[in-house]
Amino acid sequence: MKLLRDFKVVVFVLVILLILVVSRVSDQQVFKEKVAVAINEANDNRNVVTSDQLKKNVSPFVVIDLDGKVQQDTISGQPSVSIPFEKLLDHENRNILNNAKGDIILMAKEAATASKAWVILNQLGYKRVKILSPEVHPEELKYKFQPDTTTRLENDSN
Amino acid sequence: MNARIKYSVLLVGVGVILAFLPFDASESFRLKSDELLAKSATGDMFLQVDQVARMINQEDSTIQLIDVRDAVQYHAGNLPGSINIPLSDLLKPSWEGTLNQKETKKIFYGNDDQVASTAWTIVTGLGYQNNFVIKGGLNEWYRVVMLSKFSGGNITPAENALFENRLNARRTFTQLNSLPDSLKGRYFKTKRIKLQKLDGGCQ
Repeated sequence: MKLLRDFKVVVFVLVILLILVVSRVSDQQVFKEKVAVAINEANDNRNVVTSDQLKKNVSPFVVIDLDGKVQQDTISGQPSVSIPFEKLLDHENRNILNNAKGDIILMAKEAATASKAWVILNQLGYKRVKILSPEVHPEELKYKFQPDTTTRLENDSN
Repeated sequence: MNARIKYSVLLVGVGVILAFLPFDASESFRLKSDELLAKSATGDMFLQVDQVARMINQEDSTIQLIDVRDAVQYHAGNLPGSINIPLSDLLKPSWEGTLNQKETKKIFYGNDDQVASTAWTIVTGLGYQNNFVIKGGLNEWYRVVMLSKFSGGNITPAENALFENRLNARRTFTQLNSLPDSLKGRYFKTKRIKLQKLDGGCQ
């Protein structure tokens, strides 16, 4: 008891610190994943899957429609789950994501919507989240630049 | 009890708590997930290619175009005034000064929306402000600006202004990307001097 009395200030500070840490760790709104994880996965295109790749996939997956529609998913034969992007982190939607069996496949008309949702879920620690892409290389430049060979930089010395 | 022992115990205690933290806050997003989602859900992050073309034509010094593609693609053709920060280099300390300031608008672009939106979400999650994305990226730039044509008999003043904006941006894009890399840095300075001469002003 004497030891505890001697150290009461130290114990008090440590308990406060512990409470702050526990509250932050248990806060579901706080991102806990390293940013580098998202960058590496996106850079290697590991976060993108096409319909053809999904068809060959033997493991289960659930398709999330971020535009808020429920569509019959032609690959799994199951209806997609509608989670509008702006309600992605609502309690009931978090439950759907937490209980999803297998891969979570994000689908949206706009590539940007699925990309933003993917980063948010990835950084919240959701593994096996992928973006359904209509193309194998969605980021391909569809045009080729034609240089103008007559272009000259004007002499700026005078 | 000796104060030094108390401080030592306190420091060891803090060290133990920090050592068992399940994540490193310095390497994670600073925004909370609901804050990031709210920012992401608005369409405010997007700029249309015509807006960007106007900024390029005006040599707007309040913007910084950021090409998030790899170096090979960047050197094959990029938007005038842009710098290359590939997605993989986004966390490099050397880019922190460019990305983590709110004075200039940071406008991200890729070939399409996916990579630029990923970069936007990451920098916004890190707490950096004033970030934007060119809607449709370079594919949209080519479709709207580089390949725009006017057809028809009459042209309204608004259509004329829009077409001229695209034409000027197209010219700048073509001229700049046709130059060797060593001369690109001098392009805008030379263009300004040429315009001053045409206006009859002095250098």
